[in-house]
Amino acid sequence: MKFTTTLFTFSFRALLLLISSNAFIACEDIISPTLEKANPVLAVDAWINNKNETQVVRLTETQPYFENTVPGGVSGATVNIVDNEGRNYFFAEDFNKAGDYVWTPPTSSVVFGKTGNAYQLNIQLPTGEVFTATSYMGRVPVIDSVTLTFEPKNAIQPDSYIAEFWATEVPGSGDTYWIKAFKNGVLLNKPEEINIAFDAGFSAGGNFDGVTFITPKRRGVNPNDVDADDKAISPYQPGDSLNVEIHSLTVEAFNYMNEVVIQTNRPGGFSELFASPIANVSTNIFNVNKSGPSAVGFFTVSAVSAKGKRFDK
Amino acid sequence: MNQFIRYFFFLLILLSTQHIKAQGKFTINGVIKDASNGETLIGATVYIKELKNGATTNEYGFYSLTLPEGSYTIDFSYVGFELIAQSVTLDKNTQLNMELKPEASQLEEVVVQAELEQANVQNLEMSTNKLEMKTILKIPTLLGEADVFRSLLLLPGVSTVGEGASGFNVRGGSVGQNLVLLDEAPVYNSSHLFGFFSVFNPDAVKDVKLYKGAVPSRYGGRLASLLDVRMKEGNSKKFEATGGVGTIFSRLAIEAPIIKDKASFIVAARRSYIDVLARPFVPLLKEGGALNFYDLTMKANYNINRKNRIYLSGYFGRDVFMFDKNQGFSWGNTTSTVRWNHLFNERLFSNTTFVYSKYDYKLQFGDDDRNRFNWNSSISNFIFKPQFTYFINSDNELNFGADMIYYTFEPANAVGISNGNSVDVSLERKYNLETALYIGNSQKVSDLLSIDYGLRFSYFQSFGPGTVYTYNDTVPGQRRYPVSEKIYKRSESIATYNNFEPRVSFKVQASPTSSVKGSYNRMAQYLHLISNTTASNPLDVWNPSSKNIKPEIGDQYTLGYFKDIGEKRQYEISVETYLRNTQNQVDYIDGADLLINQFLEGDLLSGRGRAYGLETYFQKKTGRLTGWVSYTLGKTELQVEGINRGQWYDTRYNQTHNLKVTGFYDINERWSVSSNFVYTSGTPTTFPTSRYSIQGILVPYNANDSRNNVKLPDYHRLDVSFRLEGRKVKHGKPRKNTDYWVFSVYNLYARKNPFSIYFSQKDDRVPTGQPIESQATQLSIIGTVVPSVSYNFKF
Repeated sequence: MKFTTTLFTFSFRALLLLISSNAFIACEDIISPTLEKANPVLAVDAWINNKNETQVVRLTETQPYFENTVPGGVSGATVNIVDNEGRNYFFAEDFNKAGDYVWTPPTSSVVFGKTGNAYQLNIQLPTGEVFTATSYMGRVPVIDSVTLTFEPKNAIQPDSYIAEFWATEVPGSGDTYWIKAFKNGVLLNKPEEINIAFDAGFSAGGNFDGVTFITPKRRGVNPNDVDADDKAISPYQPGDSLNVEIHSLTVEAFNYMNEVVIQTNRPGGFSELFASPIANVSTNIFNVNKSGPSAVGFFTVSAVSAKGKRFDK
Repeated sequence: MNQFIRYFFFLLILLSTQHIKAQGKFTINGVIKDASNGETLIGATVYIKELKNGATTNEYGFYSLTLPEGSYTIDFSYVGFELIAQSVTLDKNTQLNMELKPEASQLEEVVVQAELEQANVQNLEMSTNKLEMKTILKIPTLLGEADVFRSLLLLPGVSTVGEGASGFNVRGGSVGQNLVLLDEAPVYNSSHLFGFFSVFNPDAVKDVKLYKGAVPSRYGGRLASLLDVRMKEGNSKKFEATGGVGTIFSRLAIEAPIIKDKASFIVAARRSYIDVLARPFVPLLKEGGALNFYDLTMKANYNINRKNRIYLSGYFGRDVFMFDKNQGFSWGNTTSTVRWNHLFNERLFSNTTFVYSKYDYKLQFGDDDRNRFNWNSSISNFIFKPQFTYFINSDNELNFGADMIYYTFEPANAVGISNGNSVDVSLERKYNLETALYIGNSQKVSDLLSIDYGLRFSYFQSFGPGTVYTYNDTVPGQRRYPVSEKIYKRSESIATYNNFEPRVSFKVQASPTSSVKGSYNRMAQYLHLISNTTASNPLDVWNPSSKNIKPEIGDQYTLGYFKDIGEKRQYEISVETYLRNTQNQVDYIDGADLLINQFLEGDLLSGRGRAYGLETYFQKKTGRLTGWVSYTLGKTELQVEGINRGQWYDTRYNQTHNLKVTGFYDINERWSVSSNFVYTSGTPTTFPTSRYSIQGILVPYNANDSRNNVKLPDYHRLDVSFRLEGRKVKHGKPRKNTDYWVFSVYNLYARKNPFSIYFSQKDDRVPTGQPIESQATQLSIIGTVVPSVSYNFKF
């Protein structure tokens, strides 16, 4: 649960502030440990949505953990997505980018898919291995507005302009979302900025159904940036723009992203006391041949609602 | 169960009414106390020279011996006290209370008789460690605060995963497999400030005993260990105040007689005070933030008459972290105990205990009334525990009694308010009853052989109101979803479990200075500490056994050799091996959601565990230089379907090597130095092998699906402390007050001992299509030298 992590991060900052004079100083070093060797497996990045833009299924292979390069694509595969009404979307490999398989809406009024429909992704590799995954397009609430509030500085933040989006979650329990924020056109995609919601709250147990998204979710559209001295800076300034998109997720995709956040959002320091150990996140990509090689990654189809605003100077 | 209770009462009535006047046998009994303050002495020796036999006092300082009529010389002794040899003509039942005087100085190499008779080698107990408060006060510690837990960590078989971890691990058991009792009341989280300090105020603690194995039948409920902490009763002779000002705490304890030699009390308080000093300089504190921890320990006792004594004790402690008036979290324990010692007759001693104890934590955040979140969680219990000891004769001591614990679990009482809409996200309370009946006899078969055998029958019940979910079957390791639910009415039984727990141990006295001991124990544990973080922390949730979670069962076998060496038997050596197999040990699916999750049980897995090892211990007990070396070679593993491809894997707290050296040296009358050195193998952790990216986020991946596949670098640390006693004489007159300074340095050579290594992408936002940089970071919670000074007084 992310709010506890956030809370502890704050508490520990407070704690450190107080007892740093007592040499209670946690200390961090970047190290280069030797890792076990492993064979690469297929990695599928297939997040399809109903925006009027080119949809991409990206096929790559896993790399050694410390290999800081763009992984090469897996070429020559056959990729398509079929829905429960028999529609077939063929994804052709992009000749400019090996491993990217794309489907482009034929006109500006056509989008991928329909809310409530189920989808199956099929991937046939040149090796003959066949992988499939299923998803459905969930519903998504309308965003009413995007606002900016000024908060004078306090013990833990400077003078800040805090952005918020306002939307009432769709009644009926079990809807899940990924709320993406674009500040001046740039997607906020640090692991700590991933903002996912189960109904209007954090998790299935939360029961925040059909209400306004709760504060940490509404405010999850603020960048988490620091200045050169590692001090927090105001997330927005008047004149900045913010575009918020709510992408519907399946519960499996929500669980997957929840696991991704647990595994990737590592603020370090004392918050490590509350961190979960490394574990593999789940996948919904399965080899048709159960004894064949496995794959990692995820396939999901989202409906998107969006609202943008440039804040007045 | 009912039948057991009937037998139990039958036995009780039989023994309490029975005045076996065995031909020419009489009973001598009494209480042994410290002459300086009237505190009863636990484990003091009563030794009949003529019979080469004796007894030790129980937790209430009481002993009883039934002997043939005759004249005897009886030695009353206790470590660090002067021995009293008393001649007794036993021609009728006799009560003989004794007060022993503390030894004046330990500078000379004196070996008193007491130590010979109390030596481990003679004792039937094994796998237990007793720490004298005197020793605890001398061990160098973090920030100079004498601490029960930090001291325990220097004993064989006891370990921790690092600074910042709450609790401790015993013989490869988890933190939640230790039962920590403070005056018989369970303490569910025994740490302040994330394990840096324990909740026990050293000024109020009298006796600390750790059972790692060979646990007598009167204790149960946890698989790995029992830590029995007994509080002081309070000086029954004169007013006394002790206290100190340290780097982190200031402490004050007051004890005094209420009625001299009959009733006394102690009140001891500690508070961290750095926030008070820092308030003017730290904006956070000026604006309503708080950071402190405190505890209050109280006890009173009244010696009603020769046959009855009552004790009241209480503890209240809390850690508070608030980063403004409305936001932050806090946690703490509350315990209260009422005990009544009653002598039915010369040989039947009883203690009846009533306990209420509670652990809770609170979290709150959100800075206005329209948007906030409050969450409380607690575990509370009522305990009724009648215990009886029947001193049959000098060769047999029969213990029997019962335990009844009524638990209420409140996993989450939580309300969230979002934009004015209030949503109650509370989880149902859980109600449980744990009961046990036990009987055990400690028997000296011959000069060569002693045995202790007993049986405990434990019974656990969970009952309504409550909702029980049935979960689907899936591939092990995947989250299970509820498929149906059943609602139970108030008091309706939901699930019951019971276990017979046999306990056996023996001692073969190979020679006066050497013995071989062994034991077998079965223990059942009905509560589970749910935690899947790197180390145990205050938010870990206790969860009772239920329809979906079975009780944990542990079988432990131990075998050990004990030997005293040296002309004056000033050295003690012991070697012990242990093996513990456990069933139904709880583990978690990858990505488990443990906090405020009504379907928590769908994220739990259960498996089996095994822990085995060798503990060696060498101690020098007397002289100017004293201390010990402890080395443990151990392994602890789990096998859980759905984790690590179903194969055995090391637990997070597995440590192959664990070496501890502790030494104390008296330089002169006023200066003494103590030091300890710790070297342990790094604990296991999981490293990824590979990476891939999803939507521009770098995801670590372990292609071999392994858990705990690598070890952190080794841990080692050296601490030193100097103690300066205040002058004993002032202006030519002896001072009434005593005081001393402690100057200590923790982590002397500034070793950066790793707590964890974590993997992450660099902190930048990466546009799609650009390479993402990955890194590994090693975190040391204490990565530097920590010097400190404290001043302590007594008047």
